[in-house]
Amino acid sequence: MLKALLEKFTGQKKSKDAAKKRLQFSLIYDKLEMNDTTLTDLQNDIVNVISNYFEIDKDSLELKVKRDHDVSALVFNTPILHVKRKQA
Amino acid sequence: MDGKVIVITSGKGGVGKTTATSSIGAALALEGNRVVIVDMDIGLRNLDVVMGLENRIVFNIVDLVNDRCKISQAAIRDRRIENLFLIPASQSDNKDVLTTAGVERIAKQLRKEFDYVIMDSPAGIERGFENSIVGATEALVVCTPDVSSVRDADRVIGLLYSRSLTPRLVVNRIEPARVARGEMLSHEDVLDVLSIDLAGLVPLDENVLISSNTGTPLVLQNDSKAGQAFKRIAKRLNGERDLPIQVPSVRSSVWTKLTKSFGFK
Repeated sequence: MLKALLEKFTGQKKSKDAAKKRLQFSLIYDKLEMNDTTLTDLQNDIVNVISNYFEIDKDSLELKVKRDHDVSALVFNTPILHVKRKQA
Repeated sequence: MDGKVIVITSGKGGVGKTTATSSIGAALALEGNRVVIVDMDIGLRNLDVVMGLENRIVFNIVDLVNDRCKISQAAIRDRRIENLFLIPASQSDNKDVLTTAGVERIAKQLRKEFDYVIMDSPAGIERGFENSIVGATEALVVCTPDVSSVRDADRVIGLLYSRSLTPRLVVNRIEPARVARGEMLSHEDVLDVLSIDLAGLVPLDENVLISSNTGTPLVLQNDSKAGQAFKRIAKRLNGERDLPIQVPSVRSSVWTKLTKSFGFK
């Protein structure tokens, strides 16, 4: 009870709340984890699709999964060399 | 009608899977079912000592899968609880000695002879785990209220879903006083994180160690809180789906009532 009183007045968080929050984050991250082959396959597919419309520099592109506190994003970064003109 | 095959698993070791398996199996037998417990932890068998049957082993699950014996020879009958049987793991073999096809075939045969076949999965998510779930019709996941166990439970739950099994959760070793002080995840916290149905809540209980010391079934001890909790889980598995979940609580003293009335949970 003393400890509870102390927490109430100092505004200190309960340790189980920290545990819950950390778990929630790590479980999300765990599910986003991809193995390298998946990432390479994805990159090849994306390159193929984009190559239909643009000429891109295949050597300097990068594909990453970015993880922030509350948001995860797939980032694909590539320089565009030319726009391909579609034949009518 | 064929019996049910229930796999009990956890991902992480040391969360009380063996205790849960032996207790739930014993409780199901006390309810009048014919029950066989299968120790799937090849190379590291434990259920035999916990259940007090270690002196009566002749054949094991590897012998059975490899057709070296019959079910009636491999299944050891418990002398205290009627209709309770154990098929032990082998202690000398390598983990990879069993194939999923072989285990699935035996599980099908066991279902014909028993109302419940309880598979005690080894820790981990490798071959032994795959073998344990291959013939399962239902699954229980055991976890304790700590971060590593809950995280591993999440992984296992995902794997079970991918095999079309809808697992239910047993939260083991709950310490109500610590939950009340906010030092331990409550079962609500665990359920928030895992999104899974509950099979039951089991408090930390000194009797678990004591009963394993002597190899006597926990569920035969009426003063064991954990034993009683496992009995309720068995009843729920056995058709009493609406049996309310009992939340382990601190014994209500004047002091705790006083602190509660002041708003300190």
